[in-house]
Amino acid sequence: MSAFDTVLIANRGEIALRVMRTARAMGLRTVAVFTAPDRDAPHVREADEALEVPGYLDIDAIVDAARRSGAGAIHPGYGFLSERSAFARAIEGTEGVLLVGPGADVMDAMGKKDAAREIAVGAGVPVVPSYDLDADPAGFAYPVLVKAAAGGGGKGMRIVRARSEYAAALAAARREALSAFGDDTILVEKYVEHGRHIEVQVLADHHGSVVHLFERDCSTQRRHQKVLEEAPAPTITDAQRASVTTSAVALSQAVGYTNAGTVEFLLDSDTGEVYFLEMNTRLQVEHPVTEEVVRVRGERIDLVELQLRVAAGEPLGFTQADVTVEGHAIEARIYAEDSFGGFLPQAGTAELVRWPTVPFAEGAAGGRAGSGPGRVRVDAALESGQVVSSSFDPMLGKVIAWGADREAARTGLVDALDRTGILGLTTNTGFVRALAAGAEFRDATIDTAWLDHATVAAPDSEVALVAAAWVDAVLHSPRFTDRAGDPFATDGWRVAGEPARTLVALETPDGRRELRVDVPGHRVDDVVVSEHRLADHTAVLSLDGHRETAYVNATTHKVEVAHRGQRHSFERPDAFADHGPAAGDGTLLAPMPGTVLDVLVTVGQEVAAGETLGAMEAMKMELALTAPFAGTVTEVNVAAGQQVPLGAVLLVVEEGEIGG
Amino acid sequence: MRDLVADLRERLAVVRQGGSEAARAKHTGRGKLLVRDRVDRLLDPGSPFLELSALAAYGMYGRDADDLNAVPSASIVTGIGRVNGREVVVIANDATVKGGTYYPLTVKKHLRAQTVAADNNLPCIALVDSGGAFLPMQDDVFPDREHFGRIFFNQANLSAKGVPQIAAVMGSCTAGGAYVPAMSDETVIVKEQGTIFLGGPPLVKAATGEVVTAEDLGGGDVHARKSGVVDHLADDDAHALAIVRSIVDTLPATSGYPQPGRRLEPGPVEEPHESPESLYDVVPTDTRTPYDVRDVIRRIVDGSRMHEFKKLYGETLVTCFAKIHGYDVGIVANNGILFSESALKGAHFIELCNQRGIPLVFLQNITGFMVGREYENRGIARDGAKLVTAVACSVVPKFTVVIGGSFGAGNYGMCGRAYDPRFLWMWPNARISVMGGEQAASVLATVRTDLETDEQVEAFKAPIREQYETQGSPYYSTARLWDDGVIDPADTRRVLGMGLAVAANAPVPDPSYGIFRM
Repeated sequence: MSAFDTVLIANRGEIALRVMRTARAMGLRTVAVFTAPDRDAPHVREADEALEVPGYLDIDAIVDAARRSGAGAIHPGYGFLSERSAFARAIEGTEGVLLVGPGADVMDAMGKKDAAREIAVGAGVPVVPSYDLDADPAGFAYPVLVKAAAGGGGKGMRIVRARSEYAAALAAARREALSAFGDDTILVEKYVEHGRHIEVQVLADHHGSVVHLFERDCSTQRRHQKVLEEAPAPTITDAQRASVTTSAVALSQAVGYTNAGTVEFLLDSDTGEVYFLEMNTRLQVEHPVTEEVVRVRGERIDLVELQLRVAAGEPLGFTQADVTVEGHAIEARIYAEDSFGGFLPQAGTAELVRWPTVPFAEGAAGGRAGSGPGRVRVDAALESGQVVSSSFDPMLGKVIAWGADREAARTGLVDALDRTGILGLTTNTGFVRALAAGAEFRDATIDTAWLDHATVAAPDSEVALVAAAWVDAVLHSPRFTDRAGDPFATDGWRVAGEPARTLVALETPDGRRELRVDVPGHRVDDVVVSEHRLADHTAVLSLDGHRETAYVNATTHKVEVAHRGQRHSFERPDAFADHGPAAGDGTLLAPMPGTVLDVLVTVGQEVAAGETLGAMEAMKMELALTAPFAGTVTEVNVAAGQQVPLGAVLLVVEEGEIGG
Repeated sequence: MRDLVADLRERLAVVRQGGSEAARAKHTGRGKLLVRDRVDRLLDPGSPFLELSALAAYGMYGRDADDLNAVPSASIVTGIGRVNGREVVVIANDATVKGGTYYPLTVKKHLRAQTVAADNNLPCIALVDSGGAFLPMQDDVFPDREHFGRIFFNQANLSAKGVPQIAAVMGSCTAGGAYVPAMSDETVIVKEQGTIFLGGPPLVKAATGEVVTAEDLGGGDVHARKSGVVDHLADDDAHALAIVRSIVDTLPATSGYPQPGRRLEPGPVEEPHESPESLYDVVPTDTRTPYDVRDVIRRIVDGSRMHEFKKLYGETLVTCFAKIHGYDVGIVANNGILFSESALKGAHFIELCNQRGIPLVFLQNITGFMVGREYENRGIARDGAKLVTAVACSVVPKFTVVIGGSFGAGNYGMCGRAYDPRFLWMWPNARISVMGGEQAASVLATVRTDLETDEQVEAFKAPIREQYETQGSPYYSTARLWDDGVIDPADTRRVLGMGLAVAANAPVPDPSYGIFRM
């Protein structure tokens, strides 16, 4: 490639590694940019050169870094500056540097929903029926969607189900749009109740060639955040496939698109209609599923390589007729979030990370897949000991499984997620594992709204608990702990008697559990354990004959287990933890001689445990008087301002309710 | 031998259950753990427990001759295990056995455990659950030098030497027993279970008329918040034991104030080339059948390797240097009756070990010193005395295993209980008495003048033989704490290894001897 020999990657995390891997394979030098907290991040280590920038959104600094490092191209990855036309424009204005992506004008055109919609209509692409803002809302077919033209990510978006809600929703959407995007242009469209998210990968060179690389289905999403993505789409007809792919190419040609892009459609499951949603002018997070299934003249493709070649001015070198699909691929996104705890974002140290295969190196699928050979691929930058902060995108990586058909890919993915263990912070791995294993995903009945109302049952912790106990006991057994031949070897030896079992006490969500482990007898309580493998924090065990894989990290304070992707953290009992207030008789005594500042209750008042009943001041300290348990105040012996001696009876609370 | 070992395991399995089923049900019904469960939880996961004299009081204190397990383990569990990787002495009352009260042998066993702690600088952990002295036997429990009061004397003096004293009160702790926690360095009590008072509610009522509950008199809350008798209040047994483990974690790495001397250091370990169980086939059950003791040694020592000393001299005593679990040892083992030469060889070897700071292991199987005019005239008593002097004055840790007979002066020369071996264990085939039953009966018959017919002599001798037979049993011995327990011969190497590891906690002083009669 003659146009450039060095590429700067204006991104971090897995996508930066992903781009570097291909760039290096093509013989290009790689340049990373990083901010101070990322000084030791994998993408910095991986690059041939790394330059610090004030921020990943700092256009000037990044363009300057490209110039200083001699980079002839900038790959923006996804997120950050990837769809900022200002960034594209800044690069276009810089001699000797190219953006691996479309031009700034195209970004502008596609970036605004109303403009994009017009172009789509012009190109004969079906769009969601819309309503004129000036028209009488009484004439709309409800439900309708009110959304910001400049929007994204659900902001400035309202579903209106009745005429009566319309005015308020419109006003709210305008407000949100203005504050979020600085633009209060609003669109009103038909709202599709049951939709599938279908998107088409397109690729266009600078010589007028545009091809599509077939479609992906990303219907499994929660609040517009994609969770599971697959290719090809499992439910669409040949006619629908023809419609979306033809439309995607037509739109790309109409807008003069170059490089890789994605055209998103909404498939109305009730009517079978497909509607254009928007175009993403960058490489998608879920591009690996396309790479896994698409063949050009029978060969697999590398989208990043194709992007770089297009950016360098090379022609595509193949036509639509050369493009075929083989097998099925599904991707699961791994997020730092507690999916079973309100989907709260998580941060912390990933104390232990085990991926089912080395990231960016393909591995064989696990043994569970039934039909034909499968593959597993991991795109991730997360490694053991890495700190996950809440200041960046919570996505930690992606696990992708390919199989000869959808079911093979799905079982391969479930197996791969079973072999994914992230400990130290909670991830959604167990959640996506449960989703991928569930009947709804198996039967492809999940629509884009499903996850917003469906409840996925949290996995049971029993297997994890047994695995934790077994591994902990074995770690304490002579196999792992003793100097060879220690007469005090930890085998539970007793004088001419049965060896003692090892007791493992752990705190669980259901309270403290004590498990008796008989290591030589292969038992945890009554569960028969056979150990197939125990090394490198990985335990492959059969529990009463059921084979289970668990990733275990046993430390002084806790034992953590990842089982079926789900992290279970079992604290060891702490002898000096707060064991609750001593069961007193509800009499609040003055802990020091002092002055009563305040009394907040009266006799007969019902109070909750821990409720503040009053305050007193002593020795320059203010002490809150709190209820030791829920009950009723039966005595108030003091008033504000009163001096009390040590041990004076201030208040009495009686347990339970009066006259219950 | 296999039958004897099976019998041993059976006896131990019985006493390990503790008190009666009803007593145990009552105990656990109150949320309390059984004594050996407490020990298991106190110790590190998987820690071995070298229990001492588990068969103490076996066949004693019963209603009749068949009531063999009236006071299992003498109502107290003692032994050595590891807490946070260090060896500790555990002393735990079994409240399911006569309320954990102290019989004479309970006191003896408690004191013996303290001696082990003192000899080896081991922290003491008392798990207290005892009603105090067994009142009907107060004269054998309370007043003498080696009686109840000695426990607290020892606690004070062990603490003075820097050997930590820790107690967890998990039940009653009455009268003298109250001093076990009170004399400890750091103490835990279980709320609503543990009580500590000098006089319990019945005594208080009798003495002063005051009516008070046990909890108000000396419960956990009282002692943790008001009296200051205890330092930590625990929710339950498991919590108390966790706190004790945490206390041990705060102790310095080694116990005892610095003392001069040499330290035992283990090297790499090699297993013997033959399995420990093959000992069963090597040793004849009848102590009178001769065999080569080297076959025993080779099954105990590292790599089955022995550096024999004076192999060709005094052949009835085998002396050799070897290693057990990586520790250097000097082994003195009987291979026949003791002659002057064997005694001299033994004394020389013991001096070598003391000079080199190498612990001694005695494998006792001795009917005695040779008797007869020739031997007496040549001064076998003089040479025997040299061996006894060398054994008595040894400063290196000594370990004795009675693997066969232990008769007469042979017991002294081979480091019997009176010679303060760190530990003395018996095999289930062992016999111990001042002389054989037949010899004793004959000697006693000889000094009688009124026995005329053979029938009369036999009638006189039979009960004496029977008495010696009964009293010579290892179970008679271990019931009375003449030893630290009867062990499975296959465990000999392991037990000696633990003994050596325990002994390594204390330095070896420089040797000095009394006069060797030349």
